[in-house]
Amino acid sequence: MLEANPIFALLSRALDTAALRQAVHSANIANADVPDFHRLEVSLDPAGEPASAAAADVLPADFDARMDDLDAADDLEGMPHVISTNDSVRLDQEMALMAKDALRYEALLGAFERTTGLLDLAIREGKGV
Amino acid sequence: MSLYSILDISGAGMNVQQSRLEAAALNLANAQTTAPPGTPAYRPLTVVLHSARGEAGSLPLPVVAGTVPLNATPRLVYDPGHPDADAQGFVSLPGVDPIGSMLDLISISRSYEANLRAFDVTRTLLQKTLDMGNHR
Repeated sequence: MLEANPIFALLSRALDTAALRQAVHSANIANADVPDFHRLEVSLDPAGEPASAAAADVLPADFDARMDDLDAADDLEGMPHVISTNDSVRLDQEMALMAKDALRYEALLGAFERTTGLLDLAIREGKGV
Repeated sequence: MSLYSILDISGAGMNVQQSRLEAAALNLANAQTTAPPGTPAYRPLTVVLHSARGEAGSLPLPVVAGTVPLNATPRLVYDPGHPDADAQGFVSLPGVDPIGSMLDLISISRSYEANLRAFDVTRTLLQKTLDMGNHR
């Protein structure tokens, strides 16, 4: 039943993307002192191709299947994938971006919880707790 | 990629910073050591870092490729009374750059803190994810 609700599919995808962003921030911070390491980014550009074999691996195995199930897929942005930039890592910038994306992740969790709360209310026929 | 795997990335980051810290501390600790004439003096160490694909996922993990001695020229100090002085009265001290080493220590400390913060943020997100739905 949950899969039938497009909101859950959207939120699930957004959470996957947010988790991927957190992974990329962590990788950038961890590799900041490695010579010749270039900053990684999550791209949602539908025309973009993964910069390396890495990008395909970081997505969930059933990501394509889940997206196929989503009726509103045409309205969404492209699949998130990891690309390498030409920039070096700046720790302050990376920390700020990580804080921002962590807030976004928490907001998505809140949205997920509110949506399940509505479903819960419907299951209880509006009787509350 | 699960949030659990992200913790491994930050862990690898802290691990390499610890190796850098050991090398910097060793360099500073040996900065004033001398060696008898004819024997090699202490050579400052540097940590070589590489990015490698880890088991945790496909994102690159930092790894210590090796700890290698630098070809820093020893400092010669004129001290004829020193037990390790050569025939001309010079004592050979390691080519450790104390100011550079202190700057390295600051950089290492900041990098370690950044990795720790990333670990903490991931842990918090993971905890909030696990707590989802528990408040009803």
